[in-house]
Amino acid sequence: MNRRRFTVLAGAAAIPLPGAAAPTAQDVVQRIQATLGGEWPVTGPDGFKVGDPSTPVKGIATTAMATVDVLKQASKAGMNLVLTYEPTFFGRQDGQVSQSARGRGFGGVAQDDPVYKAKREFIEKNGLVVFRLHDHWQARKENDMVSGLAESLGWNKYRVKPDDVLYDIPAATAEETVGLIRNKLNLRGGLRAVGDRGARVRRVMLHPGAMTPALMWQRYSEVDLLVAGEVREWENTFYAADIYTAGEKRGLVTIGRVVSEDPGMRACAGWLKTVVKELPVQWIPAGDLYWRAV
Amino acid sequence: MTGREVVDLIKKNVGVPWNEQSTRDTFKVGNPDSTVKGIATTMMVTFGMLKRAHEAGLNMVISHEDTYWNDRDDTKDLTSNALYKTKTDYILKNDMIVWRMHDHMHSMHPDYTVVGELRSVGIKGGENADMRPGVFTIPETTLGEFASQVKRISGFRASRCVGDPKAKIGKILVGPGYATPRMTPEADVVIGGEQQEADGSFDNVEYVADAASLGIAKGLIMLGHVVSEQAGMEDMVKWLGTFVKGIPIQFVPAEEPFWT
Repeated sequence: MNRRRFTVLAGAAAIPLPGAAAPTAQDVVQRIQATLGGEWPVTGPDGFKVGDPSTPVKGIATTAMATVDVLKQASKAGMNLVLTYEPTFFGRQDGQVSQSARGRGFGGVAQDDPVYKAKREFIEKNGLVVFRLHDHWQARKENDMVSGLAESLGWNKYRVKPDDVLYDIPAATAEETVGLIRNKLNLRGGLRAVGDRGARVRRVMLHPGAMTPALMWQRYSEVDLLVAGEVREWENTFYAADIYTAGEKRGLVTIGRVVSEDPGMRACAGWLKTVVKELPVQWIPAGDLYWRAV
Repeated sequence: MTGREVVDLIKKNVGVPWNEQSTRDTFKVGNPDSTVKGIATTMMVTFGMLKRAHEAGLNMVISHEDTYWNDRDDTKDLTSNALYKTKTDYILKNDMIVWRMHDHMHSMHPDYTVVGELRSVGIKGGENADMRPGVFTIPETTLGEFASQVKRISGFRASRCVGDPKAKIGKILVGPGYATPRMTPEADVVIGGEQQEADGSFDNVEYVADAASLGIAKGLIMLGHVVSEQAGMEDMVKWLGTFVKGIPIQFVPAEEPFWT
């Protein structure tokens, strides 16, 4: 343990969480930060996004994305601290005013935007506090984003190596396996698959979130089916399409970024119960936000 | 005529200053000085499309998107990749030439990718559209009805929608490929090809889903990247034919890759 981490932990031990007074959001977050360790720069993505950190916490909700729908459910269930993996305010800037507009279109959201305003008002009126927990949750060596997804699919026991992302599942066709994924994750319209429907699937790679082309080039030939949150179509998707044309029976299925991250935040709720024992913790999935036209 | 001569003619006729710094709009593979027997335009130079072009006797491919599965067509990590070798060998063995036409298509007047996209989804009045054509007004309908109409007219199989299907909509904002526009107060529906789902510069998916939960009528239709821009490469055939004479020019579409 390095000196910095020791200091953080020692500091954490001194934070009072007396039984009489409910801990504030700030208290809870400090305990999470101390347990996870690492640096928490104010400029990083993780941090308070909206709500008053001095609010006494009645319960904690975890989710892949703090949508209005998730926030309504959290409020109803009495969970007033929401830990979200993805942004709350529609992008990486997460409600911060942009200093420099870059990229395609301008980033961020206008402070008088009607959806932004209504969402913020709902949060404040209901005394909710939203904290983004992304980088530090993903960086844990256990990486429960992967094992959480495997658990939702019923595949945890098929993991090939504890520190890897491959699973040897009972053999089935690609179409059957995709059907199983759709059912287990309650998918609506976000799933898209590439490759041979009839291909025999045994070895599967799980990659929640977004996948880079480099990782796909490196690992795709090891697996029968790659399950990813999202990829860039003109990069990874057509790599899979070209391999299919070349005659290899592998498949790629993208299920949606947020949907792929929901199970990892259920794992986060399980972990939180061991860290913040005195408060109720509930997982509220954001779910599949897409539908398909009929 | 050689591949290089075809490209020189394109540069002369494009109507905007040629940016020699573009890393996209360059020869990707094959010998630029080979004789062109025929030109195939396509949204994406997939392996399947290459085979169809070759079988049709077209050895020069003008593709809007990349060849080697990354935007910069950087091949340094692919030199020992079996698929890279197979695809490259196929192109070289058949004396094919691949050249990309991306950035300049989007700065042309009109931008054929947008013209084609508007036509694909059944929105009228986009014959001269540029890359950011602004809001189109359609007769008021519901998001669900409109999405069904888009599906029926376009024939696209794997488009994804967000929002309340019962929401009343009439103002449509369209963008090609990955240039999916951000939702604005003036628009009811954004139509794009693809976009990072979350944690990007502006996350349309969350915004539109939240608008629906708050009772604000908004919709999002993500067509798929290649299909969204593909029809523009048909228009490109006509445009090329006005100054490239004596060589067959055909549109050879890339396949919609998905099943659902």
